[in-house]
Amino acid sequence: MNKRLSYLTSILLFIAFAVFIALRQTNPLNFESVRTYESLIFKGFINTILISFIALFGSVILGFFVYILQASKVRFFKAFIDVFTEIIYGTPLLVMIIVMAFLIGPAFNTYNRIVMGTLGLIIYMTPYMSNIFKSAFSSISEEQYMAMDLFGFTSFQRYRYIIIPQVIRILMPPLMNNFSLIIKGSALLNYLSFTELFYSINIMQTRTFAYSEGYLLMWALYIIITIPLSQFTRFFERRWGLK
Amino acid sequence: MKLEISNLSHTYDVEVLKPFDLEIDGYHSVALIGVSGSGKSTLLRIMSGLEQPTSGEVVINDLSVKDPVYKKTVGFVFQSHNLFPHLSLVENISLVLEKTRKVPKEKAHEIAIENLTKLQLADQVNKLPKNVSGGQAQRASIARALSTNPDVIFLDEPTSSLDPILTHEVLSSIERLKGSGKDFVFVTHVMSFVKDFADYVIFMDEGSIIEQGEPDILDNPKTQSLKDFMAKVR
Repeated sequence: MNKRLSYLTSILLFIAFAVFIALRQTNPLNFESVRTYESLIFKGFINTILISFIALFGSVILGFFVYILQASKVRFFKAFIDVFTEIIYGTPLLVMIIVMAFLIGPAFNTYNRIVMGTLGLIIYMTPYMSNIFKSAFSSISEEQYMAMDLFGFTSFQRYRYIIIPQVIRILMPPLMNNFSLIIKGSALLNYLSFTELFYSINIMQTRTFAYSEGYLLMWALYIIITIPLSQFTRFFERRWGLK
Repeated sequence: MKLEISNLSHTYDVEVLKPFDLEIDGYHSVALIGVSGSGKSTLLRIMSGLEQPTSGEVVINDLSVKDPVYKKTVGFVFQSHNLFPHLSLVENISLVLEKTRKVPKEKAHEIAIENLTKLQLADQVNKLPKNVSGGQAQRASIARALSTNPDVIFLDEPTSSLDPILTHEVLSSIERLKGSGKDFVFVTHVMSFVKDFADYVIFMDEGSIIEQGEPDILDNPKTQSLKDFMAKVR
């Protein structure tokens, strides 16, 4: 079986599995009631994408900042980041979001749960982002720095023409993987009554009792967002991969 | 080339170069030979300005290696080609010229092509380093070193990562540069190349210069350690 046919067969098998599951439900699926909530679900879909981009942007900035602190020669910064990283690694995302929204937020007189929850998502992703920067920057060999030094490149020129163009290519695939993690993680913001995809479908379900239809749709919509992303990552790796 | 070294020593965790003086003048191609760990690569790096010595002074062609201008007068070829992996062979050269030597873009491209052609790479100029052979990449790095028009080119075991055929290919390319008006200082383990290309040889062992002179010292070594070394590399 050639490669394309293998993939096509695999995709069809999974679709068949989904159809089988749908047909096995006690009540026959009826998407009529779902259609009434189309605009709410669409709003949830857009909000999921929007909040994920915000969290991506925030965690990239914070992750870079954390990477700089970790790479610094000041021992305290390194220790501080190590402790921070351990705490985050040990905390489930749901706990992080709830603690941010219901404990840390109020402690600073902030009762906007959505903002605090998103901040929780950003902080949760920060060590993962910082790790990406760490491995990307360490891929530039000592000898390349020597060559830059020898030719007399200025600091700006080093970053602009040599370091960043290489680092970006290494950074992009894991960055996209993390983006996919953020999108999936954003579903937990429904605990804060934020109208993202999971929450909007939940509302539809409680009002129409179309539970099976809702879960199936939810599953499909998350896949619609994340699969193109992972395909883009693969394309990026093939097109720009250095090795 | 005029080379003056006074009271030079260098220490990492151990003393890799023991204090010594050296003065040579009028030679164009100096080979540093010796077993691994003899200090020859460290000496080469200090002479090229890549590393600062723990103590002592190195002056080449009346310019101290500590002088900020000095680095602009030298070229360096690393053990592995050390080209920037995201740039094509021609861009590896033109970027250096454009950004660090302020050569206009088109002129930089022209010089890059010219030097790559000199190293028989005219048909490879737009390829990335990963898409050419190790020998071609190393020749491109020699072209890059030449392109800034340096007075002295340092080569640190330029063929150590290559198989015998590619080694021959790279060394022949270097030999063709003889008489180009450039001076060379190089570290290598290929003795036939030393005999053909060098006009002065420095043999080092355990951080000291043991023997030095024109290449015939290799055929008539005076010291036991050079005799032993030659017996091993033959």
